[in-house]
Amino acid sequence: MAVDAFLEGLVVATSPEMLLWLTVGLLLGIILGALPGIGSPVGMAIVLPLTLPLEATAAIILLVAIYSGAMFGGSISAILINAPGTESAAATTLDGYPMSKNGLAKNALAIATTASALNGFLAAILLVVLSPVLIEVVLAFGSPEYFLLAILGISLITIVTQGSIVKGLVAGALGFMISTIGTAILSPRPRFTFGQFGLYEGIDFVAALIGMFAFAEMMKLAARDQISDDDVELAGSVRKGIMTIFKYPVTTIKSGLIGMGIGMIPGSGATTSTFVAYAEEARSSTKDGKFGEGDPRGVIAPEAANNPTVSGSLVPTLSFGIPGSGSTAVLLGGILMHGLQPGPVLFGDQLNITYALFISLFLGNVLILAVGLTLIPFASRITELDTNVIIPMVVVLSFAGAYTLNQNWWDVGAVIALGILGFYMVRNNYSIIAFVLGIVLGPIAEENFFRSLQISGGEYTIFVNPIDQPLSFLLSLAILAILLGPFVKGRAERMVSSS
Amino acid sequence: MSNTESTERNVTPERIMLVTFLVLSAVFIIEPVIADYPDDARVFPQLTASAVFIGSLLLLLQNYLPGPLYTFVAESVSITSSDESEVVEQAGDEEDLLDERDQKNGKDTLGSKYGYEVNETVFMVSTAVLYFVAGWAAGFLFVTPLYILGYTLWFRVNPVVGLGLAAAGTIVIYLFITYLVMPFDEGQIFDFSPLVPTLIDSTSLLLRGGA
Repeated sequence: MAVDAFLEGLVVATSPEMLLWLTVGLLLGIILGALPGIGSPVGMAIVLPLTLPLEATAAIILLVAIYSGAMFGGSISAILINAPGTESAAATTLDGYPMSKNGLAKNALAIATTASALNGFLAAILLVVLSPVLIEVVLAFGSPEYFLLAILGISLITIVTQGSIVKGLVAGALGFMISTIGTAILSPRPRFTFGQFGLYEGIDFVAALIGMFAFAEMMKLAARDQISDDDVELAGSVRKGIMTIFKYPVTTIKSGLIGMGIGMIPGSGATTSTFVAYAEEARSSTKDGKFGEGDPRGVIAPEAANNPTVSGSLVPTLSFGIPGSGSTAVLLGGILMHGLQPGPVLFGDQLNITYALFISLFLGNVLILAVGLTLIPFASRITELDTNVIIPMVVVLSFAGAYTLNQNWWDVGAVIALGILGFYMVRNNYSIIAFVLGIVLGPIAEENFFRSLQISGGEYTIFVNPIDQPLSFLLSLAILAILLGPFVKGRAERMVSSS
Repeated sequence: MSNTESTERNVTPERIMLVTFLVLSAVFIIEPVIADYPDDARVFPQLTASAVFIGSLLLLLQNYLPGPLYTFVAESVSITSSDESEVVEQAGDEEDLLDERDQKNGKDTLGSKYGYEVNETVFMVSTAVLYFVAGWAAGFLFVTPLYILGYTLWFRVNPVVGLGLAAAGTIVIYLFITYLVMPFDEGQIFDFSPLVPTLIDSTSLLLRGGA
């Protein structure tokens, strides 16, 4: 069955139509990723409603291509102007920008392109090889486990992103709460609509994604002038940059494995993986490393980790519906919007779509290498854009896109309201990813919560019964360990230090 | 310190946000009881609203909480190791510096030329709200070029670039009307859709140089 699905996926992914969407997505992703303040989640959120007329596979391939392209694009502004286009490129600034200042901008960009594409390519192969194991794991999960996974995802996000756990939990619970507006899932009863017919279908999660990522980000960007204040000089050699990758094969492969491994953990994204890869490289190269002063390994490590993280993050997103970052939250939104269901269906009847996606990722990385290396001489142009030109266009696209979802003006209003909320949440260290995850997963969590209670006859012990539901019990334990672990550890450390 | 100053110091955006969360979650807890929702429509929203209510209350009152509870509510935790945290902090500090610099250097606007200083973020949100209301009332097709032109003129973008952007924005909206069949040429209050064919004819005439 898996071989048939793979071959079917191969035919779909290599069809001219899919290759076109893949290329369009990659180019869009590279440009959006290179614009600080835009990045992949904003770009994907704006494009999401525009994919409505597309067939599901084409839409998902387009979104993944934007995500993958933005991972590389983010490094352009990180290296040239010290302002990462995406959060995941922040680690690249640490040595990428000093390389630019040392007259090696082209080398750094070539390193970023090659490391990103090469490891993305290898990770996509690994993903295809791993998928039979994934299928087995996914099929072992039932309603109680899916409900607990949603809680686990939010819990993980609260501790992966720095800040107070309570703030993260409030953000996640608020997302769940907002998702209950509209007609109830299990009975045709309108909830919290207060007589407004426009609210009967609830607040569309895509509108929430647009508000939280696009509108909130534009509010932040409004205070910024031109993206780059400095004149960017593109010096150095592309060829020497490519060769540098092959001088450090261990760094490249190790960082790729770190990226893919961390990407697979629900709740963690490329921001974590690139910093971990950078920190590990700095730790293991203490003798000859000049990290922070333009050491090429400081660019290889985060860039070799970022694209494998995309492949890794598809594992929890597609198998359990738990995204690891803003971008994968938008991707999950796209999957649900197009009627696909993460979990057993995507690894069962729709396995061909999953394989088509993996194969596109593989082809996408080949394209990144070709497009990326061609774009290097023009890279600095992207960073010269004026924010006042970007903002009104993003607002127009966001509003038109949000209205297109259901032809409902409440969705456009939600973009503004949630955008303002997102802006202040970010300013005060509340995780907007936890909030968005709550909104996206709310209906799935509620449905599985009630199915579980129906199975158990209303007994909440179904979530903690070690004999009948060992998997649920383990998940509940994991949630407790995640939420209380850091405090127990902190108290233990304080006790040891005081004694 | 006067009472007014002390009140101003206590009323922070975060506190306003938390009070909003409290009120909103209270509505989500009480409304199902008042409107007599069935169990399958009531339990999940009430459970999640309770979590929001308790969490927001704890965050609001964190300065008055006893030691261990204060630690749980206020302390920042992360599973990432200290080495990475330092690197993350370093990158975060650079971003903060960038934001700080942006906030200090106000943008050159049409208002500042005439002595009116308006916060850029406030201006962006206000114009977006106006655009939304006007688009709802008269249709996005007619309002979009005005919004983009107004926004770019305020921030003193080259007028030619502003005109180009306004045209691009209008074309995008027109594509939504044509290919996605969105009624962006009709407003909820004013209906200017009968003007569209005339506008298209005159635009094409203008582009052909009036020939």
